[in-house]
Amino acid sequence: MTTTISPDAAAATQDGPEDAPRIPRRATAPPSVHGRPNRAGWTGPTYYGRSQLKASPFENPVVGGYIFLAGLSGSAAVIAALADLRQGAAAAALVRRGRYLALVAPILGAPLLIYDLHTPKRFYNMLRVAKHTSPMSIGTWILMGFTGAAGLTAAAQAGTDLWPRLRGLNGLARAAQVPTALTGLGLSTYTASLLSATSTPLWAAAPRSLAMRFGASSMASAASALALTEPDPDHRRALEGTAAAALAVELAGAAIAHATYRRTGVEGALKGKAGRVEHIGATLLGTALPLGILAASLLTRRGLPRPVTALAAVATLAGTAALRVSIMAAGDRSAEDPDVSFRFSQPENLPER
Amino acid sequence: MNMHPRALEHATSTLDHVIPNESELTAGARIVPGRSYGFFTDTTVCIGCKACEVACKEWNNLPADNLGLTGQSFDNTGALSANTWRHVAFVEKSGSHGLRDGLDQKFQSGWLMMSDVCKHCHNAPCLEACPTGALFKTEFDTVVVQQDICNGCGYCVPACPFGVVDVSTVDGKAHKCTLCYDRLKGGLEPACAKSCPTDSIQFGELSDLQVRAAERVEHLHGIGVESAYLYGTPDAPGATGGLGHLNAFFLLTDRPEVYNLPAAPTRPANRVAPSLATGLATVAALALASAFLFAPSPEDRRGGRR
Ligand code: SF4
Ligand code: SF4
Repeated sequence: MTTTISPDAAAATQDGPEDAPRIPRRATAPPSVHGRPNRAGWTGPTYYGRSQLKASPFENPVVGGYIFLAGLSGSAAVIAALADLRQGAAAAALVRRGRYLALVAPILGAPLLIYDLHTPKRFYNMLRVAKHTSPMSIGTWILMGFTGAAGLTAAAQAGTDLWPRLRGLNGLARAAQVPTALTGLGLSTYTASLLSATSTPLWAAAPRSLAMRFGASSMASAASALALTEPDPDHRRALEGTAAAALAVELAGAAIAHATYRRTGVEGALKGKAGRVEHIGATLLGTALPLGILAASLLTRRGLPRPVTALAAVATLAGTAALRVSIMAAGDRSAEDPDVSFRFSQPENLPER
Repeated sequence: MNMHPRALEHATSTLDHVIPNESELTAGARIVPGRSYGFFTDTTVCIGCKACEVACKEWNNLPADNLGLTGQSFDNTGALSANTWRHVAFVEKSGSHGLRDGLDQKFQSGWLMMSDVCKHCHNAPCLEACPTGALFKTEFDTVVVQQDICNGCGYCVPACPFGVVDVSTVDGKAHKCTLCYDRLKGGLEPACAKSCPTDSIQFGELSDLQVRAAERVEHLHGIGVESAYLYGTPDAPGATGGLGHLNAFFLLTDRPEVYNLPAAPTRPANRVAPSLATGLATVAALALASAFLFAPSPEDRRGGRR
């Protein structure tokens, strides 16, 4: 930087022996901030306690719900394709359910996204450009590709279910599952970069570890959903193993993310209700608890009783949803709180060049 | 009387038509497509008259945002929004830090005012985020939302590092300063700059403005205002983290936060690749682990439908 800001300029505003009430910083809550208390973070001057940023106008349960469904769908497609490639007909029932589960993002998720637009009737304008700088554009095309491929896979699967003698259909499903799984990888994780590629401090602070958490929890949720309905003990064990591995990665991601939040000074955004949901709901009950149960189950020779592992699966699914919604809400809070937003926009947080 | 030669061409009143390239008369800048234009806002001469706010509302037909009082000095506007594209900030400071010491009452000389606006960033985060291409760079190197394209996804709002662009609850589209795109097309200086009585807002070609601003900082340093610095010129605060430079830049005399500006904003698009790569690597690694767990058992290899 060629120009420097005098560090004591802020201190200088505090002098003046006789006069002038101080700027009532943070004493008055601006209309957009919902009367939040002070917390550690930026302690320098602000403009009447306002943040320089605007929070996203997303409806958090709606967009968070989409992120959940996208991860579930994408990862279900990946697991179904892997099970089919590795075990073929032996895993036919699991593969069928995975291929159908992959339809939740196209059928339920896409309408949620359109609903969240402020001018929904123009949703198709998303399709007039493709931009590598915009994860929302990248994601639109991933979702389009996935919808086509997953739709074809599921249709071919439905065909084989109805007319088992039509051999060509099975081949079609097996071919179509490859592009479905590849786009499914993207669908499982692009939503993290959608959040990180903004100026919202909490989302921008930890792009890598957020992607780790979102990707891993997508895999965990899909494996858990499939394990819940899996009658075959061997397949269930493989699914629970996948879920356990994913939960372990998610937990590691959470640890890295929280260390990054502390280092960059955005931790304050996780002090409220959203933060409690993230800490207790998503990380403790939604990740650590099922990880413990599944690890115990995998280490015993015959596994823990079914209701116990089912509990782990339900906890994983709920934790995955809680992670999405709480990260969205805490992000909005980080954008609205000047203590967090100005702390984050200090030069020490600039990426190294 | 000293008259601009262009003004002499129009000495008699010609109200029946627009003076061609009027901006040359009012701002000393000819508007040519393909060149970069912007604003230099010199906050040291801002008197807080809000003429820019009014002129902007008038020209762009924008409704009022807030008819109440905020109790925050003379600032009853609060912040930039979908309906407010110029916002004059008022900071009342006690102490004059050596400026005009002994000439004025201390706290009278502690006023800071700044007319805030969209920065028309070089690598504009809002534009880079927009998934419909509604946000685009004009031929004047400014950033504009095409109202007939925007579908109100709202992604530009958290993308902007300065909290400028906003989605209107009235029409469900994103709105922000257009740097008077329509006026530039007609050779007119933007409404705010034209209305500014002290030339705190200067419109012009970016390269000219940057030279002018650097000279102004030097002059201010010379007369003892050592705190003066530029915000948004290349390598200065505000133009950090890959943003390049801001086409609308500022001369400030206190920390950026005092004016509600971030000291070191970053370009969000730089986070796309690391995030996508890490996410894909995570999911791919877990898929590999899963493939290993689904290893076919000996009896599976025998049975099956196929
Ligand atoms: S200041 Fe914000 S709205 Fe203006 S060009 Fe930059 S990113 Fe876009
Ligand atoms: S709200 Fe409109 S201008 Fe903003 S990113 Fe979405 S489509 Fe683009």
